[in-house]
Amino acid sequence: MNLKATYRALVAAVWLALGASSGTAGTLAGSAHDFSTASWGGGQICVPCHTPHKANAGVSAAPLWNHTVTTQVYTLYALLGGKAIMGQPTVGDKLCLSCHDGTVALDSYRGLTGATFVSAANNLGTNLGVHHPSSFHYDTSLATANGSLFDPTTKLVTIGTGTQVKTGTIGAILLSAGQVQCSSCHDVHNTFNATTKNLLKMSMATSAMCFACHNY
Amino acid sequence: MRPYRAAWMAAVAFACALVLAFPARAGVATTKHNLSASGPGTVKAATEAQICVFCHAPHNSAPSAPLWNRQTPGSTYTPYTSSTAKAAAGQPTRGSLLCLSCHDGTIALGQVLSRTAPISMTGGVSTMPAGSAGHLGTDLSGDHPISFAYTSTLASTRGELVDPGTLTGAVRLDSGGQMQCSACHDAHNDLYGKFLVMPNTASALCQVCHVKDYWSASDHKLSAKTWNGSGPSPWPHTSGTTVAANACEGCHRPHTAPGKKWLQNAATEEGNCYPCHNGNVAAKNIQTEFAKASIHPVAGTTGVHDPAESGIVNSRHVECVDCHNPHASNAVAGTIPGSLIGVRGIGINGVEVNPATAAYQICYRCHADSSGQPAPKTARVTGQNNTRLDFLTSNKSCHPVAGACPQVTPSSVLVSPWTSSSILKCGDCHNNNAGPGNNGTGPAGPHGSTNPSLLERSYTGTRPAICAKCHTTTYVKFNGDSSHRKHTGDIGATCNTCHDPHGSLNYPSLINFDTSLVTFRSFTPSTAGQANNGSCNLTCHGKNHNNCSYNNC
Repeated sequence: MNLKATYRALVAAVWLALGASSGTAGTLAGSAHDFSTASWGGGQICVPCHTPHKANAGVSAAPLWNHTVTTQVYTLYALLGGKAIMGQPTVGDKLCLSCHDGTVALDSYRGLTGATFVSAANNLGTNLGVHHPSSFHYDTSLATANGSLFDPTTKLVTIGTGTQVKTGTIGAILLSAGQVQCSSCHDVHNTFNATTKNLLKMSMATSAMCFACHNY
Repeated sequence: MRPYRAAWMAAVAFACALVLAFPARAGVATTKHNLSASGPGTVKAATEAQICVFCHAPHNSAPSAPLWNRQTPGSTYTPYTSSTAKAAAGQPTRGSLLCLSCHDGTIALGQVLSRTAPISMTGGVSTMPAGSAGHLGTDLSGDHPISFAYTSTLASTRGELVDPGTLTGAVRLDSGGQMQCSACHDAHNDLYGKFLVMPNTASALCQVCHVKDYWSASDHKLSAKTWNGSGPSPWPHTSGTTVAANACEGCHRPHTAPGKKWLQNAATEEGNCYPCHNGNVAAKNIQTEFAKASIHPVAGTTGVHDPAESGIVNSRHVECVDCHNPHASNAVAGTIPGSLIGVRGIGINGVEVNPATAAYQICYRCHADSSGQPAPKTARVTGQNNTRLDFLTSNKSCHPVAGACPQVTPSSVLVSPWTSSSILKCGDCHNNNAGPGNNGTGPAGPHGSTNPSLLERSYTGTRPAICAKCHTTTYVKFNGDSSHRKHTGDIGATCNTCHDPHGSLNYPSLINFDTSLVTFRSFTPSTAGQANNGSCNLTCHGKNHNNCSYNNC
């Protein structure tokens, strides 16, 4: 037997073993975004959102986009006295809302129109006024004007648990091009496997996710 | 620089950055508003680990407030009202309803929109525990008014309020210009205790909005007196240990106040004064004065006194605050004593004087033109119960209280320091029998006396001590062959039988006979400058005096 091949096989086996067990590395498989078990998922995890060929080139926020993008115009979050400038959801948020606003079917991908919509519990609807504000610029001047937000350029946060952790400033770790987005709190691929529900980047024990940005 | 030292300096710099990144706020996790299982208070969840969820949720929140996770209370509240409140506070609105969704005790603390079942709390607690400091209930009539428009017009109409344009610091109105719970409280930050937005030492928080007339020189603002540890604590709800440190909270509390209408610590008016003015904080014990035989009956009424009442009091009552302004009083002597400054009075002409410039004006609020007064103690020839009319300087004779009287008594027959030009105060005769006016150590003032009619000294006998305080016995001829000697010595009559101690409308020398003893027909006084040529025409105890002259009857 070729010792090198055996060694390689052994390493591969260890890799697989490590990869298959949850808790040692983030995993999309088995998470809420594992669409392979859904009747409309085609038995695949990635395809409702991504495709390696003939992807939607107009989507810049995600690579190789495969899902129909929502065209909904939303009622925006409007807090009395809020200092952030709110606008319609920008590209990253639009991708999340393309399933989660309830206007586009989950299985509307690959150019086809589907018929299965997101469950009521996960349907954010088209009134964003009842949801945490998103798609706005979160910078030092906003933090100063607001008075109860951390400075995103200096406040350090740690996301994930166990071996899958990442530490950095709010701006580096949570914001997307300086904006708060769905992805600021939610870990779409469950990379960091931080919570058992809601695909959050941080545990909600002691509401840590909230206190990452909110200085209370 | 060695790498080790460089690394150490970098670590220090990193730590400093972390400290600077955390401003001086006491985080909500360390406060009683952390209702999770890790909370520091007695009210907390059994197992729930999230802190924010009791009020906030990131998705599907109620639009009433920032990501609000609680239902709006459906209660009808009893709002604060009083005769002096000009802000028409109605039902709670906006931000205050958020606070009341826990603090009115009607909605379970763990009942949130994002959960189908209420979050369970330890100890079987569901709603805010009754009797706890945080339980306001739905009767807000004993709580500081909220949910009213605090406008410049309100401030100028009501007076003693700052213009709301100055409220740009820690104390703010809400975005609609209304005063809400949030003006004084910050729900996330307990740095100063009671979730206050600033410390309330010396009532600094109260005074951001409230500016009381006369306060800057008052003893309740300035006094460093402390409690001697005896009797009930005068300050059970604060940590202040001096009068000055407590300031407003010496008498007032903003929530669940027993004395609802004016947010006072005690339900009885005098109950607000006694905890200090019983000798345990203030030097003198006023409270014990009201146990004497003749008193101003402050305990006789509760809830009758109203700061908005007319200058002339017609609903018969007396409280400490009818004579004293607790926002103004001090110990500074003056034309009016410091204890009486800032109080309304009625002038000699019956018109209100505000503030009173002489002590008698304060007495005239009740003892002059007021309706419902009892009949005078002594029925007299020209008797009436309006004391103000007794002391009119247009009367034939009077004790000089409201001004100099037409008949002047020579200094030579007055006890020093009284002179012919002395002006008296009511308190020269009506006062504490053991007060400084009678060489005692008790508190000055007509609070109580062992003598009837709140007299400082006895008025009985043939040589009453109260008269002898000022009138020497050489003036009134108690000796020799005089009518005074015959009446007081032989017969044993008192001064009161013939003389009115206040004033006489028609006759000099305060002659105004007691008609229960004297059947009066006429009296001719002595001619001025000629002694003893007057005559009496009356019957006394069946003894007829038919034009008896002073020396010959």
